[in-house]
Amino acid sequence: MSHSEKAAVFNKNEAKVNWHDKALWYVREKRDNAAHGVKGWEYLRELASGIKANVLSNLDDYLIEFEANALANGIKVHWASSAEEHNQIVSKILEDKKAKKVVKSKSMLTEECHLNPYLENKGIEVVDTDLGEYIVQIAKESPSHIVLPAIHKTKEEVDELFQEHLGTTPSNGNPEYLTNEARKHLRKKFLQADAAITGVNFAIAETGGIVVCTNEGNADMGSHSAPVHIACMGIEKIIPKEEHLGIFLRLLARSATGQPITTYSSHFNKPTEGREMHIVIVDNGRTEQLSREDFRASLHCIRCGACMNTCPIYRRSGGHSYDATIPGPIGSILSPGKDLTKHSSLPFASTLCGSCSNVCPVKINIHEQLYSWRQIITKDVKQPLVKKTILKIAGVVLSNRTLYNIGGKSARFMLKYAPRFMVYSKLNAWGKARELPEVKNQNFDDWYKEKRKNNG
Amino acid sequence: MGREAILKSIKQNKPALLPLHEINLEAFSEEVNLLDTFKSNVELVGGTIQELKKNENLTTEINKRYPKAKKIVGNSQTSDIGTIPISKETEPHQLENIDLAIIKGEFGVAENGAIWISEQDFPIRVLPFITNDLVIVLEKENLCLHLHDAYKKIAGRERSFGLFISGPSKTADIEQCLVIGAQGAMSLTVVLI
Repeated sequence: MSHSEKAAVFNKNEAKVNWHDKALWYVREKRDNAAHGVKGWEYLRELASGIKANVLSNLDDYLIEFEANALANGIKVHWASSAEEHNQIVSKILEDKKAKKVVKSKSMLTEECHLNPYLENKGIEVVDTDLGEYIVQIAKESPSHIVLPAIHKTKEEVDELFQEHLGTTPSNGNPEYLTNEARKHLRKKFLQADAAITGVNFAIAETGGIVVCTNEGNADMGSHSAPVHIACMGIEKIIPKEEHLGIFLRLLARSATGQPITTYSSHFNKPTEGREMHIVIVDNGRTEQLSREDFRASLHCIRCGACMNTCPIYRRSGGHSYDATIPGPIGSILSPGKDLTKHSSLPFASTLCGSCSNVCPVKINIHEQLYSWRQIITKDVKQPLVKKTILKIAGVVLSNRTLYNIGGKSARFMLKYAPRFMVYSKLNAWGKARELPEVKNQNFDDWYKEKRKNNG
Repeated sequence: MGREAILKSIKQNKPALLPLHEINLEAFSEEVNLLDTFKSNVELVGGTIQELKKNENLTTEINKRYPKAKKIVGNSQTSDIGTIPISKETEPHQLENIDLAIIKGEFGVAENGAIWISEQDFPIRVLPFITNDLVIVLEKENLCLHLHDAYKKIAGRERSFGLFISGPSKTADIEQCLVIGAQGAMSLTVVLI
C-alpha cells in the first residue's frame, strides 16, 4: 500500500487523528519555546551542521580513531556491513555468554535490523524497556514515532494491553497507575537480564566513549544491571571531540520534546570492572547514502523527531502510514535510498512547505531532498496512469496562458455554481473533510489590473 | 568481517575534506544569576531544591524530607545517614529495595538544571537509577552557565562512567501525559550547601 492509502486507513478515526495532530503540534510548540530561550540557537544549529558535514568527509579516519580509543579502554568493537551481520554479531555475543534474557533500550538501529525477531527465533527473550516501546512490543506493532513510539495509542488501548499482559486492573487508562505497573514489571526484567542492548546517541572519536540519552533511565537500569552491555550504532553517530557534545546535547532534547536536556545523559567510557561492554558499528546502506551527493546530508540526523512533530502530513497520517523504520520527513529521504520501489510514495507525502528543514537542529535540507527524490522516482519508478495523465495535462495548461485562464475561470465557475454533490465528490480530493474557500469572481490577475487602473 | 569493507566504501564515497570550525563561546555568553537560573531549571525538570541554611544539619533535613526511608545508601563525604553499606563488590540486585541514595554532585549546569555525577562519587553504577528516591548534595558555588563550560570542567577527568542528571526519571509515553517516576528514581532532591 502507498502512503496515501495507509493514511486513509489512519484517517478513518477522525477524533484520533485530530488528537494526534494537536498532540504533536503541542510538542512542536514546546520545542519553539525551548529554542527561543537559548542565546545563539541558530549558531548552535550551524555549528552542529558543520560538524556533521566534517564528520562525513572524514568518517573513515574518525571511526578508526574511535575504535582505537575504545579498545584501549577495554571495550570490544565489532563491525557489521549489513543488518544480517549485525544480528549475527549480537547473537554470537549472547551465545558466548549463554545469555537467554535480554533487556533493550530504545535503538532505532536494532529496529531497522529487525533484531528482536532474529533473537526470538533463537529462543532468546527480548524485552523493550522504554515504556513506549514496551507498549508497541506487547501490541506486536512497530514504533510510529522515533521519540514517542506509542503516540498512536490511546490510554484506553494501553489499559487493555496491560490488563492482558501484566494483569493490571481496569483503570480507564490512568497514566500514573499504568506507568507504575510497567515500572514494577520492568524492574524485575532488568535484574534478571543476562545482557542489555542499548542504542548510541553520540560516539566520540577523541575518547572512544559513547553517550546514551534517556528520560526514563531504562538504558542505565539495563546496562548497569546486566553482566554484558552491547551498544549498537550506525557509522554516522560519530562526532570528533567530546566538547562537541556541548553543542549536540543542547540541541537534542530541546528539538525533540522542548526539555532543556534529557533526564539522563550517560557517558560510557569503560566497562564496569569485571563486566563486558561491546560496541557494534553498522553500515547497512549508510555508505551508499554517503555516495549520493544530493542526499548525503540526511546522515546528519540525530533522531530528535522535530521534523515529524512539525510536519502537517505526518501529524495527520500517523507514523505507520510510512511503512518504514524511520517515518516522517527524515524517513522519507532515508528510506528511498534503501528500497526505491517499496518507498516510492514517501517523498510525495509532503507539501514541501519546508517546516521540517526549519526546525531540524542539524539543518538538513529535508524538503529539498524530498523534491530531489521525486525527480528520481518519476524517472525510475513506474507511475500510475492517472497521475501521469493529469500531470501531462497540467503541463500543457500551465505553459499556455489562454488555456490557464480558461482553466481558472471554469474552476471558479464550478466551485460557485456546481451543486454540492459534484464539488465534494470523490473526484475532488481537496473537498475531503474540509470546506473549500469562498470563490470570488476575479482571479488575481484581473484584480491587480483593476486596482492599478483605479489608483491611476 | 565488515570492518575493511566499510572503511573502503567510506573512502570511495566520502566528499572532499570539509573544515572543522572552532566554537566561538562569545556567542553564548550571558549575564545571568547562575544560582537562580539553576534553581528554576531544576524545578522545571521536576526536581526539588532544598537550600541548607547555616544552622541546619544535612542528615536531619534529609530525614525530614524522606521520613519513611529505611534502607539508605549514604555517602561518607556528605553525611552519616547511610544504613546500607555498599562497595564495588555489591551486586545490582542487592540494591533492589533501596529507598534512598545520597550522592555528591560535582557541579551543576544553570541552563538545564543538570548535575554532573561520576563513578568516583558512587561505588556502583546502578545506584542513582535503582534507588527509589535520590538526593544529590551540591555546593552552590559549583555552578556553570552552559554545557560548553561543563565539558571544559570535565575535560581532565578520569573517564570511566559519568552522567548529567536533570530531574527524576519521567515518561510521557501514555497519551503524552507526563508521569514522574519511570524506570529510574521516582524523585530527585537537590540539596544546596
